[in-house]
Amino acid sequence: MTALADRLRPLVAVVFLLALWQAASLLLQEDYLPPATAVLADAGQLLASGALIPDILSSLGRLAWGFAFGIVLGIPLGLVSGRSERINDFVAPLLALFYPVPKAALMPIFLLWFGAGDISKIVIIIMSVSLPLVYHSYQGAKSVDAKLLWSAAAMGTGRLRQFWKIILPASLPEVLLGTRVAIVIGVIAMVSSEMIVRQNGVGYYIFNTLDMAEYQTTYAVIVVVAAMGYALDWLFERVRLRLTFWAPERRAPLVEPA
Amino acid sequence: MSLSRLLARSYSPILLLLGWEVLVRSGAMPSVLVPAPSNVILRLVQSFGDPVFLFDLQQTLFRLFSGLALAIVLGTAIGVASAQGGIGEQILEPLMRVLAPIPKIALFPALLLLFGFDHLSRIILVLIDAIIPVLLAAYYGARAVDERLLWSARSAGTSPAGCIWRVVLPAALPGILTGVRIAIVIACIVVFLSEMVQPGDGLGDLVIRAARAFRTIDMFVPIVTISILGFLMDHALALIRRRVLVWMPES
Repeated sequence: MTALADRLRPLVAVVFLLALWQAASLLLQEDYLPPATAVLADAGQLLASGALIPDILSSLGRLAWGFAFGIVLGIPLGLVSGRSERINDFVAPLLALFYPVPKAALMPIFLLWFGAGDISKIVIIIMSVSLPLVYHSYQGAKSVDAKLLWSAAAMGTGRLRQFWKIILPASLPEVLLGTRVAIVIGVIAMVSSEMIVRQNGVGYYIFNTLDMAEYQTTYAVIVVVAAMGYALDWLFERVRLRLTFWAPERRAPLVEPA
Repeated sequence: MSLSRLLARSYSPILLLLGWEVLVRSGAMPSVLVPAPSNVILRLVQSFGDPVFLFDLQQTLFRLFSGLALAIVLGTAIGVASAQGGIGEQILEPLMRVLAPIPKIALFPALLLLFGFDHLSRIILVLIDAIIPVLLAAYYGARAVDERLLWSARSAGTSPAGCIWRVVLPAALPGILTGVRIAIVIACIVVFLSEMVQPGDGLGDLVIRAARAFRTIDMFVPIVTISILGFLMDHALALIRRRVLVWMPES
């Protein structure tokens, strides 16, 4: 299999899905399923005219903040848990308890606590992305080859320096897998929080058009959101592969609960 | 697991809940905004005598289990089938590369338009969200089957279809069960969110109704219910996995 063909496959998959959609729409002739071509034109129009841009930016802004906090909190916590059983005994049961909670469902409660601004939604995103970040960082730090640490210690490397020089780089492939999962989950948290408390953002826009019965636009925004999810994952994959080209390739899990 | 080990592994949630309780009881946190955990648990227990709660619970469970069952059956079937021959690499893998990172909840408005505002749209949302981990697990599990097992089975006279039942499926089972565990939690979360996003009935809608009436304890009860449900189902499956797969080393 050539590299080019491999790269084109997802594109072929997209075209295949769109063709299916088009066929179904032509067959049904229903307002509820506008043809893919019309929806794509609409999506292009929404982006070109700038009508959707403010909402895309407010969504992405919250995602970026939530993600930044999630990384700063989650990765160190996971790495430390991976190296200390005592800390892990404290952290792991809390994560296990928190794992099945639908985080975005806390929106109405956070609205009472933090008010109607961006903070509630950002907190939801932080909580959602933190779980995979902590978990994968933990796995990475836990499986660092002990011989590396022994050699470093024997040469007089301090604990903090060991962390930077050995544990972090050695765990990086696993940490970045967690980051990939976190991006996918972050987008889910972003959209669902906006759908539950409808103020602005792409999730709001989707339901706004649905309520106004502009079904073709509803589909167009859904296409844009789906493309955002795919594009963010694709972009991060470039970064991840570049940063960990030296590590044996692992299949990313990609799907974990948000 | 010894008792001291069990305690070491569970003291932090207990500490968290106790601290929360103390903060609310002492008045440091206003109980109007943050109910005490004991009050939430009490209300949860009482809710099981409340016909309204039971009806919403039943609506949610119906959607959850229908979607989940479809996801498990279809995911396993499609995954195992695609692992035979070249369709997996040619079609399934690129499709999954595109579909997996898409936030499925964003498709929900389209599902509402296509399948109506009642059960079906929510069941299908659960299906498309929960099928992916099962399908991927079944596909990669079935592909990883040791070929020598298949050769032996074939030479011993097992038919190709029999091979799938007797060799491929059991060999892929550990992976599939792990996929199902992920699917369970995804399904619990997404069915709940679908009921919050487009209210009608169900546990998610119960949160919205409580929020409109500003009843904070009642906002927590459905969230705690679905979380406990996800937690129990996840752990039940882990237990089943260990039982069924005694011959298999833990991964």
